[in-house]
Amino acid sequence: MKISRRQLLVGAGALGGAGLIYGLRFSGDAPVSAAGVTAPAAPPVDLARDYTDWLIVGRDGTVTACTGRVEMGQGLETVLYNLVSQAFDLPNERVRIVLGDTDTCPDDGTTIGSCATSEVGWGYWLTCGRARAELARLAALALECGEEELIYSGGLYRVANDESRAIGIGALGDGVPREAVIDPAAMPAAELEYVDRGTLRIGGEEIVTGRRIYAGDLEVEGCVYGGMLLPPYHDHSTKILDADLAAASEIPGVVSIEKHRGEVRAYAESYPALDKALAAVEVSWRKPARPEQLDLVNEIRDGRKLKEVIEERGDLERELGRCDRVFTETYQTQFASTTPMETETAVADVTSDRATVWVSTQSPFLDREKIARRLKLEESAVRVISTKVGGAFGAKAGHRVADEAAALSKRIGRPVKLVYSRRDQFQRFSRYKEAVIIDLRSGVDRDGRLRALGIDVMQDHGDGLVEVYAVPHVRTNLYETDLPAWHATMRGTSFSPDCFALESHIDSVARQMDFDPVEFRKQNVTLASFRPLLDACAEMAGYANYQRSDDRGLGFAICNHGGRQLGVVCAEVSVDRTTGEVKVEHLWAAYDIGTIINRNTALANIRGAMIWGIGYALFEEVAIDGHRAHASGFEHYRLPRFSDVPPIEVAFLDNQAPGSPRGCGEMPLVPTTGAICNAVCNAIGVRIHQLPFTPERVKSALEA
Amino acid sequence: MAKRDFRLLVNGKTRNVTAEPDEPLLWVLRDRLGLKGTKFGCGAGMCGTCKVLVDGEAWPSCRLTVSAAARGQKILTIEGLGTPERLSAIQKAFVQHGAFGCGYCTAGMIVAATALLMRKRNPTRSEIIAAMDGNLCRCAAYPDILAAIEEVAASTEEIEPTA
Repeated sequence: MKISRRQLLVGAGALGGAGLIYGLRFSGDAPVSAAGVTAPAAPPVDLARDYTDWLIVGRDGTVTACTGRVEMGQGLETVLYNLVSQAFDLPNERVRIVLGDTDTCPDDGTTIGSCATSEVGWGYWLTCGRARAELARLAALALECGEEELIYSGGLYRVANDESRAIGIGALGDGVPREAVIDPAAMPAAELEYVDRGTLRIGGEEIVTGRRIYAGDLEVEGCVYGGMLLPPYHDHSTKILDADLAAASEIPGVVSIEKHRGEVRAYAESYPALDKALAAVEVSWRKPARPEQLDLVNEIRDGRKLKEVIEERGDLERELGRCDRVFTETYQTQFASTTPMETETAVADVTSDRATVWVSTQSPFLDREKIARRLKLEESAVRVISTKVGGAFGAKAGHRVADEAAALSKRIGRPVKLVYSRRDQFQRFSRYKEAVIIDLRSGVDRDGRLRALGIDVMQDHGDGLVEVYAVPHVRTNLYETDLPAWHATMRGTSFSPDCFALESHIDSVARQMDFDPVEFRKQNVTLASFRPLLDACAEMAGYANYQRSDDRGLGFAICNHGGRQLGVVCAEVSVDRTTGEVKVEHLWAAYDIGTIINRNTALANIRGAMIWGIGYALFEEVAIDGHRAHASGFEHYRLPRFSDVPPIEVAFLDNQAPGSPRGCGEMPLVPTTGAICNAVCNAIGVRIHQLPFTPERVKSALEA
Repeated sequence: MAKRDFRLLVNGKTRNVTAEPDEPLLWVLRDRLGLKGTKFGCGAGMCGTCKVLVDGEAWPSCRLTVSAAARGQKILTIEGLGTPERLSAIQKAFVQHGAFGCGYCTAGMIVAATALLMRKRNPTRSEIIAAMDGNLCRCAAYPDILAAIEEVAASTEEIEPTA
């Protein structure tokens, strides 16, 4: 894709095309339709968001839907095509989906938390229902018939029994002012029932032939590569004491290199030249104030401050004193990195009064805000366009690459492409899923009923502390911790450490009391719908007749993800008792995730997330000390590979009542980690309390 | 080092480029020849994202300098394997199986799979896994990628590039 500078401001404007005659634009100002007919009152519709302003019917009979959310491999674009094309009974060729452009899309917030389908997708589905109702009303007026006489298919309204009277949705806007004003609350919704037709992902041909455009693929006239020198420390406000730029500036292809406000910034004609120039700078940095040595566990414990009592019920201490058995355990998790295959990338073109930035981002509107602040521009003078994102998983939300690229472009007065190196991606701003320490105390009566549960979570984020077990006496404390590295959102967020700890503990308690861990869970879960999920998963895994051996075991874990998604996973692992190596042999899962819009994309998300659960359980870890992270490439950070992937079987709870989808991009990884860990402990007969379960850790557990 | 002229054989055509001799082929393909389908992943040959075919073998193009690539070897990039109108058998299978998440690693995956099937037409599952294990996919579309390659491995379809 080649963009000349003159085209920049209008370029990529998905709505700039001809043929748009009116939007289904509603506002609350005057509850009267364009044709002067007061719309009848309608039952309230539970809209996740009203998208009527952003659903546009073109004169050419196309329907365009716009959202500020982005496509990052999760299949949002496909799901939106599925929903809009089905709602309007149109082929994909007559549907346009516009994503992540701050000039043409509504601010839908950041694409995060597995909710794009449930919020935006379903919001559009319901909005389409309203739009269909409005179009039917307009069609009846145009065709001079009753709405009940209309037959709709493929974008065309026909009068029943009179084939000659028909009108396309594109022509319905003739004579209707562009801003038709209708009270959305007064609009009835057409009765639409979504059916998953299991379509393939949109854009497959483009992807497999290398034609999909990502941020780094954009060519802007006059563009140079730009970059900044990375401090080798967690603290990125660390300034340069001294920098010798002589050798670097001699490197062929370097356009300029300078020391600017305690940073070294370089610009070059090619990425390799930039890379070489930054490496050739002789630089000394101010040493961080804190010691290099890091005693993580003690620093977390000593520095913790109570942030929030998440849950308190009954009298925990008194009940623990009265229970038949009391169990106390501590679990610990690791620093981990999101590592999308596409590193952070942006192309910025900044002139004196405008900034246009194409960026691989989950948060185009937050990026716009940061750029405006950094460049001292009005937000309206900044346009951020999210290109197709080459994986994100949390890394590309609240990042800095967009405003960094904009600052570089402003400084040199040319468009700048900023592509993070893999080292940058691992280390810049030292953002990781944080290490967590969790203390658990539980009291159980002799019948296996959980009576008391005390949880102390030492981490900064507590979204994972959703009640899973029905316990009368509870206290859950969330402590803030003071870590040298910063928190980054990463797929699974704090659900994964919290679930690992709780599900390990529950398994440990059940086994120590000689209860079956599945039955123990069934007896104690809060939500009844966990029981059929546990049964389904156990049946798939052949649990009733399973024989564990010295080097093979099964394990279960369950997860309640924000009250919206429930999951049960069973893992079978084999353990090499000599090397300590763990192999996941099989995964089974049963989920309750609401309506499924597209089975293919849902399963792809679910299996992908479960494979993430393997990495988090067994090997993903960023080693850090007080000053720096010790991972700068894939040689230091093991990701799941083909050979790590077992057969994965997935079942869904039949939802009798149709309703909105509830999302599935993150949750499946959460119980997968717990299930694998429980399977390992079951196989070796020893409980391990720290993630990841590396061969060394498994070996030392066996030797202890 | 000063820039020099190099003659590359890319996707069946002779291409002349002027570049630093140690410039990685990856960036020559992307920025000097406009072949953007080959993506930057790590720059260290650790992820497989930037793989291209060099005389039928899958190589990380970030680890091959332009001077080393200009010795008459036949280089094939993802653009040379098939077009949207005329997909290769492997590309077709990737589409049918939805064998990608974000699609960023896909070119490297298809290149690696093509190299394998050109060397061994009907590999076993474990041979496929061994050959593909150096290609990382963070979306973890591995099950679908494996299914796509297995389907082609079990077929008699022509696997030569169609572009």
